[in-house]
Amino acid sequence: MRDRHALIYWSGFTVILVLLIVAPLVLPEFWRRFLTEILIWGLLAMSSDLLIGYTGMVSFGHSAFFGIGMYGAAAALLSVSPPSLGLAMLYGLGSSAAVAAFVAYFSTRLRDIYFAITTLIFSQIFYVIIFTWTEMTGGENGLTFARPKLGLPGMEGLPFTSATLHWFVLALVTASYLILRRVTQSPFGMVLQSIRENETRTRAIGYPIERYKIVAVMLSGLFAGLAGVLYAVQNRFAAPDFVFFVVSGEVVIYNVVGGLGTLLGPIVGAGFFLLLREASSRFLTEYYLIPVGLIFIAMVIFLPQGLLGFMRRWINR
Amino acid sequence: MNIGSDRMEPLVRVEDIHTYYGKSHVLHGVSLEVGRGEVVGLLGRNGVGKSTTLKAIMGLVRPALGRVLFEGQPVTHLQADKVARLGIAYVPEDRRIFGLLTVTENLRTGLDRRGVTDARKKELLDKAHQYFPVLAERRNQAGGTLSGGEQQMLAIARAMMLEPKIILLDEPTEGLMPRMVSQIHRIIDVLRAEGVAILLVEQNVPLTLEASQRIYLMEKGVVRHHALASELRVTDPVIHQYLGV
Amino acid sequence: MLIEQILIQTVNGIVTGMILALVASGLTLIFGIMDVVNFAHGELFMLGAYVGVITLAATGDFWLAFVISTLTIAALGAALYWVTLRPLLGRDALTTILATFGISLVLQNYALWQFGPVARKIQEPVTGHFSFFYLDYPWYRLVIALASAAIIGGLWLFLKFGTFGIWIRATMQDRVMAQAMGIPVPMVLTAVFAIGSGMAAASGVLFGPLVGVNHAMGLDWVLKGFIVVVVGGMGSLGGSIAASILVSLLEAYASLIVSPAQSVIVSFVVLILTLLFRPTGLFVRTPR
Repeated sequence: MRDRHALIYWSGFTVILVLLIVAPLVLPEFWRRFLTEILIWGLLAMSSDLLIGYTGMVSFGHSAFFGIGMYGAAAALLSVSPPSLGLAMLYGLGSSAAVAAFVAYFSTRLRDIYFAITTLIFSQIFYVIIFTWTEMTGGENGLTFARPKLGLPGMEGLPFTSATLHWFVLALVTASYLILRRVTQSPFGMVLQSIRENETRTRAIGYPIERYKIVAVMLSGLFAGLAGVLYAVQNRFAAPDFVFFVVSGEVVIYNVVGGLGTLLGPIVGAGFFLLLREASSRFLTEYYLIPVGLIFIAMVIFLPQGLLGFMRRWINR
Repeated sequence: MNIGSDRMEPLVRVEDIHTYYGKSHVLHGVSLEVGRGEVVGLLGRNGVGKSTTLKAIMGLVRPALGRVLFEGQPVTHLQADKVARLGIAYVPEDRRIFGLLTVTENLRTGLDRRGVTDARKKELLDKAHQYFPVLAERRNQAGGTLSGGEQQMLAIARAMMLEPKIILLDEPTEGLMPRMVSQIHRIIDVLRAEGVAILLVEQNVPLTLEASQRIYLMEKGVVRHHALASELRVTDPVIHQYLGV
Repeated sequence: MLIEQILIQTVNGIVTGMILALVASGLTLIFGIMDVVNFAHGELFMLGAYVGVITLAATGDFWLAFVISTLTIAALGAALYWVTLRPLLGRDALTTILATFGISLVLQNYALWQFGPVARKIQEPVTGHFSFFYLDYPWYRLVIALASAAIIGGLWLFLKFGTFGIWIRATMQDRVMAQAMGIPVPMVLTAVFAIGSGMAAASGVLFGPLVGVNHAMGLDWVLKGFIVVVVGGMGSLGGSIAASILVSLLEAYASLIVSPAQSVIVSFVVLILTLLFRPTGLFVRTPR
């Protein structure tokens, strides 16, 4: 039974992965970029699923980790010539991990909506700092920079094409998924899920809940930062808009729409949301959020499990 | 069995109700009746579904099967506020006083209804103060600051403000001093004299046998035994069997 | 010069604090009574201001526009509650954040679509200035503070003495028992949402003349509203009023030193310190 599940699961996984690998070869330029973007937002949403879906902590502050990763990468890309991908990753991940540690230390003392509001307020603090510290961050206009080459430090790299960028992103997102999946199935992940089910009982059994939560927020922030780095590399700019709490809200939407606690659901949710936005922006230009919001409300009421919710148990087995 | 007052339409008739709490089946088909002005005791061990039965009558728990009739009309699917307006008042086990409201405000939650004149309101308030003088003393004190016994008085007085035809009384003597217990007993008698029916859930068997006319004994979500209170003794084997006294 | 600036900022802080208190009382009422964290509160504030703009243009009377806007948005609030939040009753409070976040997106973009990105102006009903320690101070700001205080005072009296107020407070403490006492709880909840929405709209119209009215104006307010509601103690009306004034004063003083955009960080810091050291709220005497 278990073997059969593993066989189906991994075959499905491989098929989807192969499709995603082949996709840039057949898709036109616009859709190639679009698919890469879905993967990046999907990674961001997946990182917050570790908190929302697995630990039961709704973060309304993931835009901060994402944005800090973005600005960290920007700092690295602007300070070294020629721009180095390795350094951008290092800076981006380092700074988002540091920020996540800071936020985690304070916010994990609180529960439920208090946690949500605290993460939201923290992300707004970073937003205000980035928005007003013009000489470092470019303020409202943000920063633009050149895209680094693909390669290891000290080696002559290859310039990114949209296809190689896609594969690079796909490789990192896939690796992140496998790591997060491993984490959620590890004893550590089991403790997180038991916190979600019953925090008081988990504490009573003797687990140091706060420490688990801090690690969960940091891990989640780290992967959110990775998404920020990738977005910076793809789009060659960093802007304060990405730190604003509305982005965090959209990340929560991806999770709810795709299915909480599935890791894959948030990627599906991001894809669904971005496609919906693309489709409706063709008819409604900038007002696409009206139908998106309506669909979201309907899903919260009628389909709280999300698109992949029906296979949640199966995915997590 | 044909004992009690069911020659006429009873005031409350519970017909074979089943309820679930999540996946656990709490009531497995409870049926009972309370006649007009009748005091009926509902006895059983903890967790056999006595409180749930009261909640189901009140509309606070939805039965999955079966129905509840009040004066011959089904009330099974009415919201609790509608049930209360029909004339069923509820005094829950943990009293559930509105702790931040004053004593008078607590009473007004039941008093301020459509169709009650100011004169009638005053009459009812005076009656509450007469029955429970301590409530008059503490009228402007927050409900949460009252002692357990005082809160129980307030909960009963609050229910009386609805001018109900029946009061569902859930363990009114739980945790009270003996002096308070006899006061509760007295008030049950007074209400009965006024023609208010009472469905009394209790752990205190002697009190229940004295105060009630009929007794239902529950076990594991069903009524197992039904008798006139006068036919039962605290030492009866059937009491021992279902209550383990 | 510094003393004068401090004085001016004190008055400014109190005036802003009163508006914020008006916004926050609605938020607190809604949270305290129905466990709904209303993300869309800022949008109701914004739509209130827009309805104010439209009715002012049609009638030419500021106070008439004020009343019409309050009532319109109260009705909208009731409808929103009935359609989107009532089905969520009894579910996790977090799902209400999600639903109201969706409402906020829809309303904000609806406003952008209907009214465009250019800010509209509301003409203040009272112009003119008065002298205040050698400085001119606009009368209208005082009118705002007084009107807010009057509305909050009215709400307090309503909650304290009216039958409906007792119903609301009973529902707030124990929804199930309130219903068992014959209180029509669904109606009370809808009415509370409507009252909170109306208060948001009232503050939007009052505040409109000080800044332009645009589709994104609600965002700042809902954030600040959350801050003072938490700082004041969730569900405590007096607490959120005190917190509104405290936070607004601190921000006003901070703006003497840093730019206004940065001064909001002060309120963030107040919130975080409160959560860390007094999570039940600064102004709640006994932890519940």
